[in-house]
Amino acid sequence: MSTVQKINFEPVGDILPLWRRDLPLAVPSLADPLNAVSLVDGEWVTLDNNYRLVRAADVTSVGDEATLTSFPVFNERGRADRMGMAEKKTTIFFRGEYEADTRIFDAAAVVTGGAAITAVLQPLMVATIAIAGRNYAGLVGHAGSGSTAPIVGYVTKLPANNGGKLRFISGYRR
Amino acid sequence: MQVPASVLNDLFTQKLSTAEGKEKVAELGGPYVRDRLREVSFARKVVPPEQVTRADCQRSVNHDTLVKIVDVEPQSRAMSITFRGQPTARFIRGSKAEVAFFTISSEVFQKNEQELLAYEMPITKIIEENSVKDIQEIEDREWIIHVEAAVQALQQEANGGVVSTLNQSTVGSTVEFSVRKGELARNASAATAEVLPVQRPDFVNLFKMLDTNRLRSERLLITEPDFTDLLQWTVEDFGDRVQSETAVDGYTYNIILGRSYIRTIKTDILRPGNIYVFTKPEFFGKFYVLNNTKFYIDKIANVITFQAWEDIGMGVINIAAVRKLELYSGDASPNDADGLLSNFIPVSEDALGAINNRVDAGLRFPQVSAF
Repeated sequence: MSTVQKINFEPVGDILPLWRRDLPLAVPSLADPLNAVSLVDGEWVTLDNNYRLVRAADVTSVGDEATLTSFPVFNERGRADRMGMAEKKTTIFFRGEYEADTRIFDAAAVVTGGAAITAVLQPLMVATIAIAGRNYAGLVGHAGSGSTAPIVGYVTKLPANNGGKLRFISGYRR
Repeated sequence: MQVPASVLNDLFTQKLSTAEGKEKVAELGGPYVRDRLREVSFARKVVPPEQVTRADCQRSVNHDTLVKIVDVEPQSRAMSITFRGQPTARFIRGSKAEVAFFTISSEVFQKNEQELLAYEMPITKIIEENSVKDIQEIEDREWIIHVEAAVQALQQEANGGVVSTLNQSTVGSTVEFSVRKGELARNASAATAEVLPVQRPDFVNLFKMLDTNRLRSERLLITEPDFTDLLQWTVEDFGDRVQSETAVDGYTYNIILGRSYIRTIKTDILRPGNIYVFTKPEFFGKFYVLNNTKFYIDKIANVITFQAWEDIGMGVINIAAVRKLELYSGDASPNDADGLLSNFIPVSEDALGAINNRVDAGLRFPQVSAF
């Protein structure tokens, strides 16, 4: 079981080549750190029809899997710059390849089309997971070629060998 | 002195090839057809910005952003007592509020130097100068959204904590504490988005909303088209001297009914039909500039890249220091009871700066094609 801390998503490569897009949250109150379901860094979001960000999976239902391509959040909970602006814009890694460490994952979770995270270069997908009694849209293992769930990356270091964090490289496949 | 724009473009590219070339190229603009008027920030006129430094700000232990903590005036009162009595005590406490900083940036502009030679106008200089005003447009958009949130919060509080529809049919039942409908809107036959001309009693009632709460209305914020409706006021509103002047010169005084005003052409940010009145800035809020507009320019091989940005913080600390007049009969509360709200709130950032001209669509006259 992972633990959520202040910093939950850390790129381990150069971020300059990435398209870091700032888009408004469809639900601005998710920027409020006192919100019980506030968005944390390393959660996964996707776009709605108004070019705003929504959680990639239904955060009220553990095991709900993301069905659309999703993007990682690169803003820690409670950042003042996000709260200071009118539309509560949130930074995502929109396009470009990257490698990152995340704490927002559940290695043991098996959702539809998924499998426990057990191997390096295993594909990853996004689903609602529970960590310490709170739900997040985070990474879970993907079952591989038999599943049609969108892949968002591949494991490069298992949590057991990475201080409890999951290291992965991006890589999208629908 | 006018410098040919083609020379400026050439200088721009040459300058960037030199060792000291990443400084701004200062030159004069040349003639070109403008698409629209650009205007400096109106937010800065209501709340003059204060320059702050890192030393004035507070860090967070949870993340790498800054806030400036603002003290709010503490409460106190006096009382009458007998010779034998004693006054009540107050354990002193002052409220504080954080103003958070964020960045407003221009787009990242890119052009290769060969294509730059195809322009006779100083396109890079124009974009650089316009970027500052583009940034200030976003300042205004951010600020007016905060202001609107403030008046709606107070309006909600006055209506028992319930977001209450305010349109022509609910006037009289909804408490108009921080938002008030204009006289013509109150008497409209239906809830619409049509902006009705401002009347003299509208201003008076707007001022009274602030003035009855031991604050004083000092400054109006009004769009240009709403202000133009003043020219429809009659001799009964103006008196014959001002009416005569106005008929010739327009309304030229810098105060109206004793209050100064700020007019804006940014009708996609402050939408027509919305008039705000503010107290003096010291009763209202703060506008901090952490980093003034910075300009970055670089040239890699033949591609020139430039960008401008600033770091600011703005906060409506005392939400009771602003009131709003609505000149339309439809509902502009978060309820959006009439489905018209998009007419009354700022357009999206993407939609700002929509072009007026239709040159790229081939619409200019006479239509001449050069081969």
